[in-house]
Amino acid sequence: MLRLWQALRLLWRAHPLAMWRGALLAVLVLLMGAALLGLSGWFITATGMAGLAGVGIAFDVFRPSAGVRGLALGRAAARYGERLLTHDATLRALAALRVTLLDRLARFPVTELRRLRGASALTRITADVDALDGVVLRLALPVAAALLTHLVAFFGLWALTSHAIAISVAAGYLLGGGVVLWRVARATLGHSARAEDASQDLRRRAIGLFRGRREAILQGTMPRWRAGLDAAEEEARTSMDHLDRIDTGAGQALSAVVTLIAAGVFALAGWLVAQTELSPALAAIGVFVALALAETLLPLRRGMAEIGRMRDAAERVLADPPARAPVRVAAPAFSPEAGDRILELRHLSLARPGRSRLLLHDLSLGLRRGETLALRGASGLGKSTLLDAIAGLEPVTAGEILIIGQPLAAWPESGLRDLVTLVPQRSALVSGTVLENLALAQPGLTDCEAMAALEAVQLAQVVHARGGLRSPLGEGGAGLSGGQARRLVLARALLRRPKLLLLDEPTEGLDATMARQVIAGVREFLKDAAIVTASHRAAELATADQVIDLKRYIPES
Amino acid sequence: MPSVGAPQRSRAERLLAPAAQRRLRHAARLSALAAALWLPQAAALAWGIAGWAEAAPLARTLWMALIFALLGMLRGWGERHAARLAYRAADETLHVRRQALLDHGALRFGGTSSAALAALLTEKLATLGPWITRYRPAMARARLLPLLYMLAILPISWAAALVLLVAGPLIPVFMALVGMAAQEASRKQMVEVGAMNTLLIDRIAALPDLLLLNAAEASRAEFATRAEALRERTMAVLRVAFLSSTVLELFSALGVAMVAVYVGFSLLGEITLGTWGLFGPGLTLFQGLFLLLLAPDFFQPLRDLAAAWHDKAAAEAVAEEVAAAEVSLGAPVLGQGRRVPPLMGPASILLQGVALERGGRRLVLPDVAVAPGGSLALRGPSGSGKSTLLEVIAGLLAPETGEVLVAGQRLESDTADAWRARIAYVPQQVHVPEVTLREFLSGEPEGAVPREALRRARAERIVAALPEGLETVLGESGAGVSGGEARRLLLVRALIRGADVILADEPTADLDAATGAALVEVLAALASEGRTVVVASHDPALCAAMGRVIDLQADSC
Repeated sequence: MLRLWQALRLLWRAHPLAMWRGALLAVLVLLMGAALLGLSGWFITATGMAGLAGVGIAFDVFRPSAGVRGLALGRAAARYGERLLTHDATLRALAALRVTLLDRLARFPVTELRRLRGASALTRITADVDALDGVVLRLALPVAAALLTHLVAFFGLWALTSHAIAISVAAGYLLGGGVVLWRVARATLGHSARAEDASQDLRRRAIGLFRGRREAILQGTMPRWRAGLDAAEEEARTSMDHLDRIDTGAGQALSAVVTLIAAGVFALAGWLVAQTELSPALAAIGVFVALALAETLLPLRRGMAEIGRMRDAAERVLADPPARAPVRVAAPAFSPEAGDRILELRHLSLARPGRSRLLLHDLSLGLRRGETLALRGASGLGKSTLLDAIAGLEPVTAGEILIIGQPLAAWPESGLRDLVTLVPQRSALVSGTVLENLALAQPGLTDCEAMAALEAVQLAQVVHARGGLRSPLGEGGAGLSGGQARRLVLARALLRRPKLLLLDEPTEGLDATMARQVIAGVREFLKDAAIVTASHRAAELATADQVIDLKRYIPES
Repeated sequence: MPSVGAPQRSRAERLLAPAAQRRLRHAARLSALAAALWLPQAAALAWGIAGWAEAAPLARTLWMALIFALLGMLRGWGERHAARLAYRAADETLHVRRQALLDHGALRFGGTSSAALAALLTEKLATLGPWITRYRPAMARARLLPLLYMLAILPISWAAALVLLVAGPLIPVFMALVGMAAQEASRKQMVEVGAMNTLLIDRIAALPDLLLLNAAEASRAEFATRAEALRERTMAVLRVAFLSSTVLELFSALGVAMVAVYVGFSLLGEITLGTWGLFGPGLTLFQGLFLLLLAPDFFQPLRDLAAAWHDKAAAEAVAEEVAAAEVSLGAPVLGQGRRVPPLMGPASILLQGVALERGGRRLVLPDVAVAPGGSLALRGPSGSGKSTLLEVIAGLLAPETGEVLVAGQRLESDTADAWRARIAYVPQQVHVPEVTLREFLSGEPEGAVPREALRRARAERIVAALPEGLETVLGESGAGVSGGEARRLLLVRALIRGADVILADEPTADLDAATGAALVEVLAALASEGRTVVVASHDPALCAAMGRVIDLQADSC
């Protein structure tokens, strides 16, 4: 619940003024609705009595009827304003929520974030964010508006009718409605999480079945997959049905609460009239207002039923990132004895993340500015893990990595990122223009610099043909071929102008000629940088100053 | 707005299961009847309050309060029952549709992508729910209730009936005018809110790269700017969209106000027009109160219907997608994908005069004969039908003409599963399901994986490199293996399960020379120990290792 409260504060704070104004208008709408019905009831009962008494001519009809019309128009106008304001505020809140989420995720280690890229992890995040969208519109605002409305209605009824009616209405709605809604929230807490899990499971299995149907048919496991999916569907249906039972039950209970309050106030008002403590017309106000106030209660049902889902979503979205690695000392000075030695590995041993068995053993090497090193070796030998370790993403088992003469751990995170740029095998582009993608590497990038980087990776003509630097790319860079996307990622890395550039399979998806040109272009663009490539392709191996075959460093088992 | 006449059976309508249809009719009727209980409830209230003005005994109020309460309870019960019936109808329809889509889609390839199918099966089909549970009952109420109210109001006052009659149908007219723009606008709004999520997913997917580029901060600022622009556009759209619902509210509020004012003047005797004169010159207080209580509810069904209006459009869109998916899914595979005892007989393969439709053109495949224990390479440019031929041999594609004989029997639905029990199929893109490596290889969660098999397929190192060895969970959310590794693992599986027919589609594509050579060696070894091997490849080394080569022409029409 703490996280839900956090989420609410976060959303409300995105634009508190708009939220409060929206809440105020929501109260106004509810009050005007109650006033409209109350005034009409009073007006008709009073005119009826005046008519019976034969004093109709003396009755002031002008002001009440103007009031009725005014309330009718005012209510519609207030409603329009309320909708606009609350939606505006919610949209701001949504943007704020998403920015916060990005901020939090940015504090997770890169290796962990790579796992979030799967489709199901991403849909889960969107489902969670969508669930939190309802926290303000369906939960906080209606609850706040209902409470305020009842407060005002209480004093209004007290002044106009009698304290007994005012107390009955307030107590009935707060206690009756409160108990029902509280029970709904409690009852759905566990079930909504179960339903959510079941529907996620169903979706995961559906994707699994359709994606793997060839495999399943070949292996003769289709019936098993199907049975698993059917079981997941059954589970989802059962839990959804349970939620619906709770929800419709709550609807019935709320309708009973409203009916009983109205009937009770009706009987009470009749008794007060019979005791001549209250005039019939004023007593009518009590009955009509009691009926009209049902509008404060009924919209709360949906928000309350979703409270479990919102809570779970808040817990996932606002989960604390793992504790950071111990704070590193301030940026070390460039040590003079290092000279132009950019990278040095000393007796390095590496294991795959989470494994004790060594992948590489006792690897030592040194790389100067302007030099290129090619790592070769069959797939699975640990080329990518080694690059991750040099970039500071994975720990080493033994030995030392020195960047410009300083141990890797001595570099602060952002200082390290300015020196070292890693282009992993799977690099992503973002939606936006070509220029926006490149500018991620270098804010304030000029067209001229961008074109120079594109020239280096043989992409200038492609971009030109697409309509220039400001031509848009789709989600994840959609619209470019695999090879083109690869080259754009390289160009982006070049613009960081790192001292050490780490490239994992940089020319994957390019033909041999293009691969040679791109490698030459990269070398030319970053004349002073040390470059490490991990690849088995000729283009990288042929132009390297050093080639290291990782096979030689496989530990004896 | 609705055409009140009997509508044509729409696509969505045809998706309703027969039992669901019956239930839904029930639900609609019950929901309308429950809502109609407001008529006697309003009469009881009005009769009680009118008694106050005539100084009737308290017992009249108390009796009326009791009737009001009992009817209200009954109404709540009816509403809940109707809601449950509608929910069950929706649940049943979704279940039947899901199962149908699974029956139809699980044993076919081509056409709709697996991700699109999974989305259709889960969230898209689910949009039929609100259409069934909200729109349909709302439609039933909108058809019945205004008519019923008119029948109640008209005998009391034709003037009041006229006011409501004018205001009521004017709502659809105005909705049609404002609504056309609003419909478009709200559709756009859905798109824009969706765009915010798309943007978020895009950024999360790119987050590891953004962190490596030190660009998380810049990207966050850029995201915030774009979210803000999105909000402004959305608000412009909403300003129009909310107008339509405001018009609706305005008319219903004005309708209520006009009825109230008219009743008041009539009760005072200032207006004598508008009644039939059956109960004296004007209205009685009971009649006036009754009219006032009915007026707001006269508009309620129309408002409910308007609120549920887009549910219908959404359901129709989904129904269309379901229909499209059923058409575009292509031909079914042979067999059911069950695990059955292997087909008896020596593993021979014979294709004669096989031709089939593939990607919109007719593909004539060469006649192929492979003796038991023989090996064959299919060579030819891409598009010449190499993969198709392998799929025909595996019974994944059914030929239109010609004959396929495997192990001496016709390959058809009855024999396909048994034939596949002998096949190991190595596709170009291996789908790795989310199971442990042990289960992937042995087929059982606790199955044995002999070291010998790993050694022979040169796959020991792959297993050793995985974080938890054989217990590592593979697939999207688990640890990855590269394409080449996955192909070798499939060969391990072939060895473990004793498959004696091996079909491999471009097994050495995109592999480095050493890994490729190792694979060729394994395949040659498998062939030499008496297994029937068919590969599709243009790798000269692999072709040379096979007993025979068939060249496929690019243009085999």
